[in-house]
Amino acid sequence: MDDVELRRQLERAHADCFGWAMACCGRHRDDAEEVLQTVYLTVLDGRARYDGRSSFRTWLFGVIRRTAASERRKAWLRGLLLKREADGLEPEALAAPDAKVERDSRRYSLGYALAQLAPRQHEVLQLVFYHELTVDEAAAVMGVSVGSARTHYARGKARLATLLGDAREV
Amino acid sequence: MMDDSEIRGGFARLREADRERAPSFAQTYGRARARKSWRATLRVWPLVVGAAAAVAIATIWLTQARSFSRSAATPAIATWRAPTDVLLQTPGSELLSAMPALGTSILDEMIPLPSNRGT
Repeated sequence: MDDVELRRQLERAHADCFGWAMACCGRHRDDAEEVLQTVYLTVLDGRARYDGRSSFRTWLFGVIRRTAASERRKAWLRGLLLKREADGLEPEALAAPDAKVERDSRRYSLGYALAQLAPRQHEVLQLVFYHELTVDEAAAVMGVSVGSARTHYARGKARLATLLGDAREV
Repeated sequence: MMDDSEIRGGFARLREADRERAPSFAQTYGRARARKSWRATLRVWPLVVGAAAAVAIATIWLTQARSFSRSAATPAIATWRAPTDVLLQTPGSELLSAMPALGTSILDEMIPLPSNRGT
């Protein structure tokens, strides 16, 4: 794949990649954008090469996931993660209210519920429901076996339903 | 218990919201390029500082070496006189520097006689 084609593919997948980067960065927009910038440079400079073994999007999601994990480790080393955690566990709950309060409140409750899940459960649900990947593709992105991904998917979905059901009752 | 379609709906709303606030590809890519060039500058910066420090140190060293050599200029050996030369000038040394003549006294040289005054 040449540079022009690579750039075109990245541009096409950009919105999707941003959503996945948001999920990988605990829904912190700035961190997600920084991760995405690093990924684009890594891909376009040839430091990460698409080998065609999976779909381009699946491969790119894997690169984003690894980059986000690496950035998280760096942030942890710098001691920023502790500060971020101390700032609050609901990253988006402090956003300014607007006219779409009803829709936002539902979104925030989903965001809150997702934050309560185990990281792998969160990832597999995000990949399947948000990005409409199959569980097999999600497993490839996450670097786990299909069986493991299915287990995370089933447990995560059950837990998410419980959390959202509880939130609705409240 | 919620069904899949409800969960899917929640994620669809989340996706829609993310798309609204997502930066454009050009924006993200442009920032990435800017960050890369900034990092390249940062990588070169220590070399620039190191080179400047080396030049500064060399300049100071050369200046000091030059001023030292100027102050400690070595005189030519022909004109050099030992500081202790003065000790060699003993009283009466002039008597030994000239050849003695017969029929004269060394006192003639030392004590002028009235006949020698030219009066």
